[in-house]
Amino acid sequence: MVKPAAKIKVDSMSTRTASFKNLEMYIGEIIEEEEEWEPQGPTPFPNILTLRNWSHTLLRRYKPFYAPFCDRCCLCTFGHCDLTAGKRGACGINIEDQQGRIVLLACLMGCSAHAGHARHMLDELIRRYGPDYPINLGDEVAVEAPITRTVCGIRPKTLRDFIPVLDYVQEQVLHCLSATHTGQESSYLDFEAKALHIGLMDTLAMEVADIVQIVTLGFPKGDPEAPLVDIGMGVVDLEKPVVLVVGHNVIPAVGVIDYLRAHGLEEQIEVCGICCTAIDITRYDARYKIIGPISRQLRYIRSGAPDVVMVDEQCIRTDNLLEARRIKAAFIATTDKNAGGLPDRTNDPVDEIVEDLVRGALSQTNNGVFISDPEKAGEIAVRVAMKLAPLRKKYKVIPDKKKLVELASKCTLCHTCQRACPEDLPTGYAVKAAADGDLSKLADIYDACVSCGRCSQVCPQEIPVHDLIVRAAEKQIKEDKYKMRSGRGPIKDTEIRNVGSPIVLGEIPGVVAYVGCSNYPNGHKDLVEMAEEFLKRRYIVVASGCSAMDLGRYRDEEGLTLYEKYPGNFDAGCLTNVGSCVANSHIAGAAIKIASIFARRNLRGNFEEIADYILNRVGAVGVAWGAYSQKAASIATGVNMWGIPVIVGPHGAKYRRQYLGRADVNEDWYVYNARTGEKVYVGPAPEHLIVVAETKEECIALTAKLCMRPNDTTKGRQIKLSHYIDLTRKYLGKEWPDDIDKFIRVEGDIPITFKEDLLRELKDRGWKPTEIPDPTLLPRLIREKK
Amino acid sequence: MSLGPTPWQLANVQGPRTAKVINNAKVVAARIKRKKNPILIVGPKITREVEGKKLIDYAIEIGKTGMTIVATAHVVKEFINAGFTNVISMGLSDISNRLRDPNWKGFKGEGKPELALYLGGLYYTQSQSLSALKHFSDVETISLDREYHPNADWSFPNLNPKEWKEAMDELVNLLKQ
Repeated sequence: MVKPAAKIKVDSMSTRTASFKNLEMYIGEIIEEEEEWEPQGPTPFPNILTLRNWSHTLLRRYKPFYAPFCDRCCLCTFGHCDLTAGKRGACGINIEDQQGRIVLLACLMGCSAHAGHARHMLDELIRRYGPDYPINLGDEVAVEAPITRTVCGIRPKTLRDFIPVLDYVQEQVLHCLSATHTGQESSYLDFEAKALHIGLMDTLAMEVADIVQIVTLGFPKGDPEAPLVDIGMGVVDLEKPVVLVVGHNVIPAVGVIDYLRAHGLEEQIEVCGICCTAIDITRYDARYKIIGPISRQLRYIRSGAPDVVMVDEQCIRTDNLLEARRIKAAFIATTDKNAGGLPDRTNDPVDEIVEDLVRGALSQTNNGVFISDPEKAGEIAVRVAMKLAPLRKKYKVIPDKKKLVELASKCTLCHTCQRACPEDLPTGYAVKAAADGDLSKLADIYDACVSCGRCSQVCPQEIPVHDLIVRAAEKQIKEDKYKMRSGRGPIKDTEIRNVGSPIVLGEIPGVVAYVGCSNYPNGHKDLVEMAEEFLKRRYIVVASGCSAMDLGRYRDEEGLTLYEKYPGNFDAGCLTNVGSCVANSHIAGAAIKIASIFARRNLRGNFEEIADYILNRVGAVGVAWGAYSQKAASIATGVNMWGIPVIVGPHGAKYRRQYLGRADVNEDWYVYNARTGEKVYVGPAPEHLIVVAETKEECIALTAKLCMRPNDTTKGRQIKLSHYIDLTRKYLGKEWPDDIDKFIRVEGDIPITFKEDLLRELKDRGWKPTEIPDPTLLPRLIREKK
Repeated sequence: MSLGPTPWQLANVQGPRTAKVINNAKVVAARIKRKKNPILIVGPKITREVEGKKLIDYAIEIGKTGMTIVATAHVVKEFINAGFTNVISMGLSDISNRLRDPNWKGFKGEGKPELALYLGGLYYTQSQSLSALKHFSDVETISLDREYHPNADWSFPNLNPKEWKEAMDELVNLLKQ
């Protein structure tokens, strides 16, 4: 625990130059000797080299598979350097090492986004609530910060205790970023080791960010019955002024809500959000609304609904100012990460700013300001919305139907729009059909459209293709009203006590986490179908971020969303929404808690042992079906470092790197039996650490496979195999998975219903039984060597 | 070194090494005959129809000439439904990973493929697989899709459906001879 070395408090004091009242001064810092809550492990606050052996252990089995996005390096003035056909650049780098470098850069961008967000919040919340504000996540969460405990070896009790944690993250980011400079790291293996290290730092920064906002802002503390909140493009009352908040840092949006509360205006203004800021405003106050994930920005702003667009940081379209200007809305930027080239009016009188913004918005000229004071930004947003709404009358730039047909009739079917579409959607055919009055094809592609707007930009006939899609789907948009369970934050220790044993022994077949962004290959319905497939099979299903939002955006025949059908507990057959992007830390946290609460492993400064435990025993897999961002790359790499595999959707191939195992190379699949020290073949479990799946069918079968672990009991392995076989039959049409023999260690593993037929199949394949070890990849954990 | 047509996905600009353009199906047939253990990797768009014929029908015709078909994603199900079960089912990442391994001896020890043809994949995942092989393996690659793939060794240019059908019909006839 960090304490000030000296604290001076003065009630009142007058000098010649100044008068003080209630002055508090802190001098210096000491880290107090903590009570021995656990013995300190071997690696508190690890640097780049401390965990390098663990990273290399992972990389030996899960070798980086690179698919370059570009043949060249263009990072210095010797370039462009041609790296094809084994050539090296002017600095000596080759294509393989260059990919490792780009991967590390992406992870650094992601980690620093979360760490910067965490730092901003910690500083602001300490300013508001004081450094001694306690970390209290409720009676059922005693292991309050599993990642901090494991990585840093400290147990945070107050906000102040997170200061050295973020200082440490920042230091690691600094060193790893410096390694990407020309002429630094020379091996892809150590670029990847650094990427894994930075991914780990990312999980740590995310944990800090979410814990500090939960404890100070009154977010749900692991409540499985966190309230159901409204989500969808159609949930906002357009008769009222609308403030739209976009981004990830909830502090400015809290400023809006606090102003409404203080002035009794909650019923008069609609506050809605896009992306994680939206998730977090509903954790602050469940009355407020979510429009949806990042792909909703362009279409929602162009619909004319928002009177004020307020942005904070991360994943915000960088042309939101211009889009707001087109619809005569005001724009407020609020963080240093995204100042937008706007005038800083933080210190100007509020009345003047309000007048200027209203005038600038209506004249579509200077409609934007930068306000770094979140409380002031909140007041300005509300007052501008109230003044502007009756004047701009929801001015929109989406064409009406008559205009739509007129514009569509210019189409020459050149398909340039399709060629610019990230999803390769048949937009040309849809526009052509609309020219003949059939809007259904445009409406059909609305859900798969990620609202990037590239189609409109490239059309040689200047047809606003994106806007035609939005107009054609207006019925869907009006009916876009769903429910999402508000982000509950951590998994409770009591829940872990209930499910830890069944997870590790395999009787709960797995934990599947649907996380990440919304760059889906075919709309969000695939995501819903995948999640429900595993919910029905009584896996534990967890969600976060944009995926958590999209899982709520579907109703079954009875009109129920997944969140209304399935309880929010962390338990078999339940759907747990942990919250925004930074709440992803609770998913890794749950795996760590299993090691601590169920298996009684020490966490403190003991990263390697805990990651080894998770890799070999905790059947969890992340599915980032629509991953697009650098943050998603960093999060995935971070959970890989913890020993949790991840499946990414097809666009994930553009991350350039996967960590692939080779099921056909038997030598890669040996572990130590910790009981005896002997090496035992355990099969490819899990087969990959990060792998691309192209279709939902492929993803579903792969998910079941990646939940198997060397430590499964025979009963547990039977359960997991029965799902793997059933899903392979259902989605791939094959009687048996091609690799089924690799996952049957002993006859007892065979599901009883398949026993006779499968034994025959195994005999044909020359199968031989092996043993079930107490698995570890760490020789130092062998208890008794023979 | 050559600069080919504009890639189908416009910003998928590669280089300096880009695919040679297939002007004639005879070129493809000649490459297939010259290389050992060629395989045809088919992807999720294999059930797409072009000028009244599905891509999977072309794939089955090629498979019947003896070429090994690797069905990626969940696509093996489409072949089973079509009554053609002599396919290998393997994810695109897995087959790409094996092809880049100089020590891989093939599916059953028959020898590593020297040529991989692609048909019916998602444009962007196929492009990435081709990039991996371009940079990290000596396996020659040919894209049979009607969209230009700059990361392949050989690719059709961006063809209209009629042009593509003519080329594929000619290719299948040449392979049957």
